[in-house]
Amino acid sequence: MTVGGLDSLLEDCTQCGLCREVCIVERLGAHSITSFLLGEDNYSSWLCSSCWRCQEVCPQGVDIHAIMVEKRREEDPPVAHEANLRRVLESGYALPIGKGINELRAIHGLDAVQLVPEKWVEILLRAQAGQELGG
Amino acid sequence: MALFPGCLVLQRMPQYEKAAKRVLRELYISAASIAHAACCGAPLESFTDKWLYLAAYNLSLAERMGFPVLTICGNCTNTLLRAEVALRDPSLRLVVNERLDEIGLHFEGGTRVIHLVQVLSEQLEGMRDKVRVELSLKVALTHPCQAFRPHEVLGFDDPLQPQAMRSIVELTGAEVVPYDAEYDCCGSTLYLVNEQLGLEAGQRKLSSAAGADVLVDACGNCQLLLERFQGLMNEGRAESKMPVLTLPQLVGLAMGIDPAELGVGPVMAGKLLGSSP
Repeated sequence: MTVGGLDSLLEDCTQCGLCREVCIVERLGAHSITSFLLGEDNYSSWLCSSCWRCQEVCPQGVDIHAIMVEKRREEDPPVAHEANLRRVLESGYALPIGKGINELRAIHGLDAVQLVPEKWVEILLRAQAGQELGG
Repeated sequence: MALFPGCLVLQRMPQYEKAAKRVLRELYISAASIAHAACCGAPLESFTDKWLYLAAYNLSLAERMGFPVLTICGNCTNTLLRAEVALRDPSLRLVVNERLDEIGLHFEGGTRVIHLVQVLSEQLEGMRDKVRVELSLKVALTHPCQAFRPHEVLGFDDPLQPQAMRSIVELTGAEVVPYDAEYDCCGSTLYLVNEQLGLEAGQRKLSSAAGADVLVDACGNCQLLLERFQGLMNEGRAESKMPVLTLPQLVGLAMGIDPAELGVGPVMAGKLLGSSP
């Protein structure tokens, strides 16, 4: 979805390193997309806690999230992310949520929910010829 | 409002949803379930732009109800709002609507997506009137990162050191205690990629907050890691377990609501209310 791809996203980065200073992954001794921004190869775009702190502190307004997404689409996903993806494509939910959900809700005094019809998930997320959002 | 619990709360935390609805009812705010709501789209974004179809789908369901979307999870809040912003682009909206049209829906845009923390922070006066039990507790807060950042999209509170939860919890009589890791991420999303790192992040937060009687969060992801997975940290030492509640559970206790109606068990309730009148 990004216009111009990775190069244009990286254009304004001055490699000041503020993003890496605030990154929880880096503080835990691992290497996130912020290491990639500083020109290092030893990192994983998937090692991220989604806290958005890096992007918030970036003085240049670099869209670090978009860069991470671009890199993720190039790199092999972790098993858990792939499993979530598969479940969303098949059922419309990231976790196994079936008809039994309403029994659980009833125990807690919650109203029954209507799940997304599978047919709708298929329509929403299927690949088709012509204009569509790809990835 | 139209309540969007998100997959995690829907599947694993009915207590959180129940407490949120109960507290909102006390404040005369309706929180109706959204029929046929699906995943917000977040797990798709790392793979494909099709996440926007799913986000737009959910937003269009709320649009049809004519209600703003009330979220209780940081990730869903962030994803739905970013989609709303992205879909201000007419050409994207056109593509999305072609798909939605096939199931009789339409995305117009402009629907508000508001996290529970923001909703409650706009009801401080109403809440003050409803407090029945002054809580004699030291409370540590953990703020839902994605409900505050990026600020240019979320547009609420201080994005790096949010204060809204503090102003809500202070109404309960509880003392909000600051701690070093207060504004750090819980590490829940990290757990998906690297369990050890996720647990380490959570452990750091919990150790840092050790002076408090209870840790309060407002996101399914935080609650999952800090409460449900706490036993996996600290070599599972039960005696060091920190009680973790969601924001509406704590607020509900201060409102004098029956703990059972908030999904708070009797042992936990006794522990937290024990020293209160």
